[in-house]
Amino acid sequence: MTRSDVEFQVHEFLMSNFIFDPAVSLGPDDSLLESDIVDSTGVLEVIMWLETTYNIKVEDSEVLPENLDSVRYMTNFILRKLDADVAIAS
Amino acid sequence: MTSILSVSTIEMANEAEQTAKLRLCTRCVLPETFPGIVFDDEGVCNYCHRALVEEKLAAQRDVSRAKFEQLLEEVRGRGTYDVLVGWSGGKDSTYILARLLKEFQVRVLAFTFDNGFVSKQAFRNMEKLSDSLGVDHLIYKGRFDVMQRVFNSSAQGDELYPKSALGRASNICTSCMGIAKSLALRLCIEKNIPMTAFGWTPGQVPLASGIFKSNPQMIRKMQDAASGPMRRLVGDEAVRPYFLEEEHYEKPERFPYNISPLAFMVYDETKVYEYVQDLGWKRPKDTDANSTNCLLNSYAINIHLDQAHFHPYVAELAGLVREGRMEREEALKRIDAMPSQQVVDFVTDRLGVPRYKSTR
Repeated sequence: MTRSDVEFQVHEFLMSNFIFDPAVSLGPDDSLLESDIVDSTGVLEVIMWLETTYNIKVEDSEVLPENLDSVRYMTNFILRKLDADVAIAS
Repeated sequence: MTSILSVSTIEMANEAEQTAKLRLCTRCVLPETFPGIVFDDEGVCNYCHRALVEEKLAAQRDVSRAKFEQLLEEVRGRGTYDVLVGWSGGKDSTYILARLLKEFQVRVLAFTFDNGFVSKQAFRNMEKLSDSLGVDHLIYKGRFDVMQRVFNSSAQGDELYPKSALGRASNICTSCMGIAKSLALRLCIEKNIPMTAFGWTPGQVPLASGIFKSNPQMIRKMQDAASGPMRRLVGDEAVRPYFLEEEHYEKPERFPYNISPLAFMVYDETKVYEYVQDLGWKRPKDTDANSTNCLLNSYAINIHLDQAHFHPYVAELAGLVREGRMEREEALKRIDAMPSQQVVDFVTDRLGVPRYKSTR
């Protein structure tokens, strides 16, 4: 899975679950928390989506702005987790 | 000649007719007006397609229960209390409060945020049950002039929150719950209580993520986002007591775990009613079909129906239907049941705004 695949999926997920309006743009570095797009309940939805879509485990200690606060951060986080899983499996 | 009044009446009637004819998902109850909805050829919505199947939910419940029991062993006795339970006085929070006390023998501080519109029967229930269950109960009543301004601004749709928030709840409920959750968090930090529990039902939150630890960095960003509009509306000093301050962030080790006990208790609304009624809880007669504690909700539903064109509880009810916790017919009845106009009038009079009747 390439970076652009993951970034596209993250963007699609956020647009269709949190923003809804195709006229609203969501840039790769836009803060989801500061703009209140994702609130405390929303974070739970994001975690559930990450875990079920990518079959990864999001630890409590990983629920941080630098992992979840933007499309870019989330993409980086997913790729790091997937890489780690591959490393463990091999 | 057509008067302005009659044109408005015709528009209202047309709008009501359109609402009544909305296309609904054939599996759950989400309407075509729900944000982001797409139907397949059989009329099933995309939210149903994404939902977890029962086997996965059951597995999640087992995982959550084991995680909770392990966590409880780690934190039991560490602070003033083991858990702060957000107690609205409604059936679900009463249910989790009683079960946590009886089954897990935890030391509980029950916490109620009084927004000025809690049903008198809900208070009678809480008084009776806090005595019989043997639990410390703290009631925090918000300054009514502040509540008035926050709720009135929320009702006017003054863009306090992004559009997406309407998918989960009315803006009035979002404001009220924002304050209640923040106060609960603040209390946990101040009193060194390691867990906070709320009676979120399946449909209100994704219960698969029902236990997680609050992270100060995340909380700070969320608090800024939630409190910012309120600060601009009523001033820093007025909302300061409701949100975290620097001294709270200086104690990151005291940030509690968030627990949704209904993530590991099979949710069956009928059994929840039976359980709490056996304890002496009585259903208030003045609340709407979807609330068992709050009168403000009746007004919030009317406003939301007119602004968003779908019922604010539809996502929660759809979630319950999807997971087989409620019959579709029952959910449809709840959505169709309009709150008592008398209660709505009581709320608007108390808020000091013109009386309001939904166009639905």
